Amino acid sequence: MLKKLLFWVITGTVLVVIVAPLAWIYLTAFKSQSDIFAPDLSRFVFFKPTLGNFQALFGNYPFWGNLLNTFIVSIGGTIITMFASLLAAYSFARWNTGGGDILFMTVSTRMFPMAVAAIPHFVFFKTLGLLDTHLGLMLLYVFFNISFATFLLYGFFNEVPKEVEQAAMIDGYGRMEVFRKIVFPLIGPGLAVTSVFCLIWMWNEFFFAFLFTRSDARTVNVLLSSFWGGLQVQYGLMTAGAAITILPTLIAAWFMQRYIIRGLTFGAVKG
Amino acid sequence: MPSNSPPVTGRWPEGEGRKATVWETLTSERYFRWTLLVPLLVLLAIFMLYPLVYSIYFSFHDWGMQGAPVFSGLRNYRQLVNDREFLIAFRRTLEVLFICIAVEIGLGLGLALLWNRDFKGQNVVRGLALLPLLVAPLILSLLWNFILDFNFGALNLVFQAIGIGKVNLWRPDIALFTICAMTIWQWLPFSTFVLLAGLKSLPRDVFEAARVDGASRFYTFRRLTLPMLTPLIMIIVLLRSMWLIRLFDPLFGTTRGGVNTELLDWITYRTSFVMFDIGYGSAMAIASWAFTMALCLVMFRQLMNAMAPKT
Repeated sequence: MLKKLLFWVITGTVLVVIVAPLAWIYLTAFKSQSDIFAPDLSRFVFFKPTLGNFQALFGNYPFWGNLLNTFIVSIGGTIITMFASLLAAYSFARWNTGGGDILFMTVSTRMFPMAVAAIPHFVFFKTLGLLDTHLGLMLLYVFFNISFATFLLYGFFNEVPKEVEQAAMIDGYGRMEVFRKIVFPLIGPGLAVTSVFCLIWMWNEFFFAFLFTRSDARTVNVLLSSFWGGLQVQYGLMTAGAAITILPTLIAAWFMQRYIIRGLTFGAVKG
Repeated sequence: MPSNSPPVTGRWPEGEGRKATVWETLTSERYFRWTLLVPLLVLLAIFMLYPLVYSIYFSFHDWGMQGAPVFSGLRNYRQLVNDREFLIAFRRTLEVLFICIAVEIGLGLGLALLWNRDFKGQNVVRGLALLPLLVAPLILSLLWNFILDFNFGALNLVFQAIGIGKVNLWRPDIALFTICAMTIWQWLPFSTFVLLAGLKSLPRDVFEAARVDGASRFYTFRRLTLPMLTPLIMIIVLLRSMWLIRLFDPLFGTTRGGVNTELLDWITYRTSFVMFDIGYGSAMAIASWAFTMALCLVMFRQLMNAMAPKT
């Protein structure tokens, strides 16, 4: 009995620590300015809810436009990433192409300091006129997610037995047909998981968006960071925007429980 | 070339002596593996090789984004090894790496052991515990800046109410730990759930045997559980090191590299994009890239072994 109580005390404490900050976003989003800065514990939860922050956000700032930018860039980036990494991962998994070296090179793209990868890209994009465009940001995101996507899919392909393919080839299927008709359907779940991860990563990315977009392609994270002003921080607007922006990621975290750990460890852990 | 590499399988629709088309050559058994890599290699060449070569080039030059770069030999690197600020940022990054990984694994293991059983509402508990993992780090850093504020931050108001008194969490001597705590808060679910998955996959009979033999719980943990979890702990260390060295977003909404929290990526960013010293910034980048590669190359082997298909 005591043991059970202790279990729930610890579990409860951990959950409060985890959930409270997230709940704080949603509470603050509905508070008026005076409630936000009230040094009064009871007003943490008991306050008069207002939609003022949301109205100000939608009325005075291009919030939906920026959210749409985030959306476009994430979707487009994910499609390109999936295309390139799907093919490459198949090649790595089936023939061990490059003996693991190319695979390591792919993974190592994540190790390069973004701050400095940004300089050459900036100069390069300026020449091509890709600054502040959806396509430019998309390509950068593709580059930064391709390592992860390739590696994750590599794990999924490894699970498709070679014998299935060989059997199909004996039946007279060509390589392309084997890929399209046999392998592709088998790694359906892997594709779904990898795509969702790419989507979320691109959705959350900030640094490149901050450097490479100004207005036309500005993503919602950049807008939110701009509420962190020099003199004062507009917490109401910030939390209202954040409340909407993080919603898809929270939903994904909830429904993808089973796959998240597997994805984040590149399939090394069967969650 | 194409004519003497007929596809091993596949159908030849018409004629034996006909030359294979480009498409047939590309999808032939011999070249298909490389054909599949083309999109990836093109992307890597443009977005990885080019910036790398570019950065190496500029690390040997002086350039302020205007005019022509001036060759300066090894001067940037010589400056780097004597730059106190850079070395301190480097040491701080290692500190963050060590603290975060140690706490995440310690607490994660504790929680994993705690939750490795069937209990009422376990799916809800697990679902809630995973939530922080996928939230944008930038948004979290803005949020923490708000919650941890000295004057009206929720945490300090709670501290005051329960009699601890307000704590300035952005004081220069503890701000770095605050950054660590923010990072740990987001990533604790990761190590917890990796280890939980590991615990669930342990063979039951071994533990039965140990129990029958009268092994104490501590002994079982040290001699059985821990060794079996070692590969997973290594995976956590590798992946977390890789991600922690590149820690940037949590600083953006909070200290912006002030109050003794400047980390490796921030000083690189500041040198290149605030002070516009591209040459020196590139040297910093190359140095930190080389360090990361060396660290990860060793650990990557382990990950590959852990991932290799088990037969």
